[in-house]
Amino acid sequence: MIGRLLRRGANNSEAGSIVVDGARKATGGKAKTRVLMTMAVFFGIYSTIAGRLVYLGYQDPDNSGAPASRVTASRPDIVDRNGELLATDIKTASLYAEPRHIVDADEAIEKLSTVLPEIDYEQTYHKLKSGAGFVWLQRQLTPKQQNEIFQLGIPGIGFRTEKRRFYPSGDTSAYVVGMTNIDNQGISGMEKYIDGQGLTDLQASGLAVAKDLAPVKLSIDLRVQHIVHDEIVVGMQKYHAIAAGAVVLNVKTGEVLAMASVPDFDPNNPYNAQDKDRLNRMSAGLYEMGSTFKSFTTAMALDSGKMTLASKLDATRPIRIGHQTIHDFHGKGRWLTVPEVFIYSSNIGSAKEAEAVGIEGHREFLHRLGVLEKMQTELPEVARPTEPKVWKQVNSITIAFGHGVSTTPLQTAVGCAALMNGGYLIEPTFLTRSQEQAMAVAKKVVSDKTSDAMRYVYALNAEKGSGRNARVPGYRVGGKTGTAEKVVNGRYSKDKNFNAFVAAFPMDDPQYIVLTIADEPKPEKPGMGGTAASNAGIMAHNIIARSAAMLGVKPDFSHENGATLVSME
Amino acid sequence: MFRTSDIVLIAVMVAAAAMTYTIKRNAEVQMATVHKIKAQIHTEEDTIDLLKADWSLLTQPERLQKLTELYQSQLELEPVGARQIVGLDALPPRALTIENLTAERFDLGPDDTGLADGGVAAKDPIKTGGIQ
Repeated sequence: MIGRLLRRGANNSEAGSIVVDGARKATGGKAKTRVLMTMAVFFGIYSTIAGRLVYLGYQDPDNSGAPASRVTASRPDIVDRNGELLATDIKTASLYAEPRHIVDADEAIEKLSTVLPEIDYEQTYHKLKSGAGFVWLQRQLTPKQQNEIFQLGIPGIGFRTEKRRFYPSGDTSAYVVGMTNIDNQGISGMEKYIDGQGLTDLQASGLAVAKDLAPVKLSIDLRVQHIVHDEIVVGMQKYHAIAAGAVVLNVKTGEVLAMASVPDFDPNNPYNAQDKDRLNRMSAGLYEMGSTFKSFTTAMALDSGKMTLASKLDATRPIRIGHQTIHDFHGKGRWLTVPEVFIYSSNIGSAKEAEAVGIEGHREFLHRLGVLEKMQTELPEVARPTEPKVWKQVNSITIAFGHGVSTTPLQTAVGCAALMNGGYLIEPTFLTRSQEQAMAVAKKVVSDKTSDAMRYVYALNAEKGSGRNARVPGYRVGGKTGTAEKVVNGRYSKDKNFNAFVAAFPMDDPQYIVLTIADEPKPEKPGMGGTAASNAGIMAHNIIARSAAMLGVKPDFSHENGATLVSME
Repeated sequence: MFRTSDIVLIAVMVAAAAMTYTIKRNAEVQMATVHKIKAQIHTEEDTIDLLKADWSLLTQPERLQKLTELYQSQLELEPVGARQIVGLDALPPRALTIENLTAERFDLGPDDTGLADGGVAAKDPIKTGGIQ
């Protein structure tokens, strides 16, 4: 077409008779100016656009609109050994407003107050009239509230989803699970441990996507945890103690099935988590454990080979050393055998046992059992036990019955577990672990024979000694009480005690250790006993009675008569 | 001065344009559906998370204990005692019925009653999930 038109044009010029060269030149000149004009116009348009871009580039961006979305760090769920949720992320909506886009502040508040009756009228009004680009109105709404506000159709308000850590079990597992700060970083308990396992790096690189994070499975059993928590809460009130705690430990794997300490806090509303008395006393509290230490003294005497169960010790007279005199609380005033020393909780007898082994041997044995070492476990809140710098004779004697060194209750339980499970020291864990995995990290610390003997004396103590309160029909419980005097102003106090009870069951093949503590308990009613058997012992009894079936221990009544489970020569 | 070939080409071009448009539009509609479904999945996932947390809150042992204590007079729930738990081997042998005795007496074939050693029925005639 165009070609045809051009051809026609050419024909026309040919047809013209006179061709004036100057005229063609004139038109050529005109075309040139046209081209120049067009160029100028286009140049003008594009330079305006470019100029405008530069201008906009130098402008400060408009501040209205929501702040940049904070990358709320996802965390893996924490579940118990049966898959019950202990901690999870939930999304909550928070309500914000852009006051510049609010048409009528009064109407907006009026409408909002139908859904949020507790909204402060005056404050909100000032917020909406402030002319700011962005204000928060209400954080963390329920999905129902969100939907209702959405239905109101108010212009200039919106929602922003935020992740929030939620702990369904609340204070029941507060110390084990721990909690996170406002930025969803773990600050205590297993939450902190998870952060240390590479989660922080994942979050920093933006790879922590909620779906890809596998739940962290703890060794805790929520049902047992609840029982333990329930019993120590009741126990603390009943015995007017300043604190109480308990741990249930699997003897063969080192798994902690339950561990709780009161007073505690609600991780969903941790307004009091920083209070002075909020301390996980089971792993971060240091105590002189008292007579429960006689388990170690007895095991040491037997394991050293210097004594057998038939050996007799002179407990007729108190021991005088320096200006101190060691008495017996339940004094018998006669020669006692090794099991008798244990069941009558004889301080004199224990001191004699320690004497026989020697100071260095005593110290070495307690270190071997890990009672005086800093415990290696996942929980970050672990205290370092204290001991005298130089052990003298008097130290060895007092340590024999649990005074003079401080350690954590959890460690004591672990040490006792080693005496019950055939002599294997297994570091406690809060993650699931099989028996094979446990044996791979276990250290043999006492002989099988010593372990058998210890089972015998534990069972005997529950049959005839101070552990009778903890007996649960059918579950063959063995145990040891410990009533330690607390140090007040550098002196041992007569009326302030630290009571502990360590129980193992079932005694024919111990599977679990239950250790309960009560700090400064008082008699339940005036006139009733205040020793460990009548508070910590009863707490241990209740925990075992309620949880044994859940722990998979079969009741067996054939052993009810007679504690002679192990034949001793 | 359109030649037939021109018309055909124009028709092809128009058809191609129309087809492209339809495909593009369909794709847009599909994409919109995909976005919608994705948003739905997202909401559902969030709801599932929330419901899981809710479920766990409602089945807290602490809460269940409070409820059983509150409704003790109606439900009469008690903790399981140690004597209530027994193994299968502790069950007494099944009592003999008259059918067992008559079957033994008249020795009805092996398939009729399935009588085994000691006069105890080895096979239960009623088939339930628990009996092999």
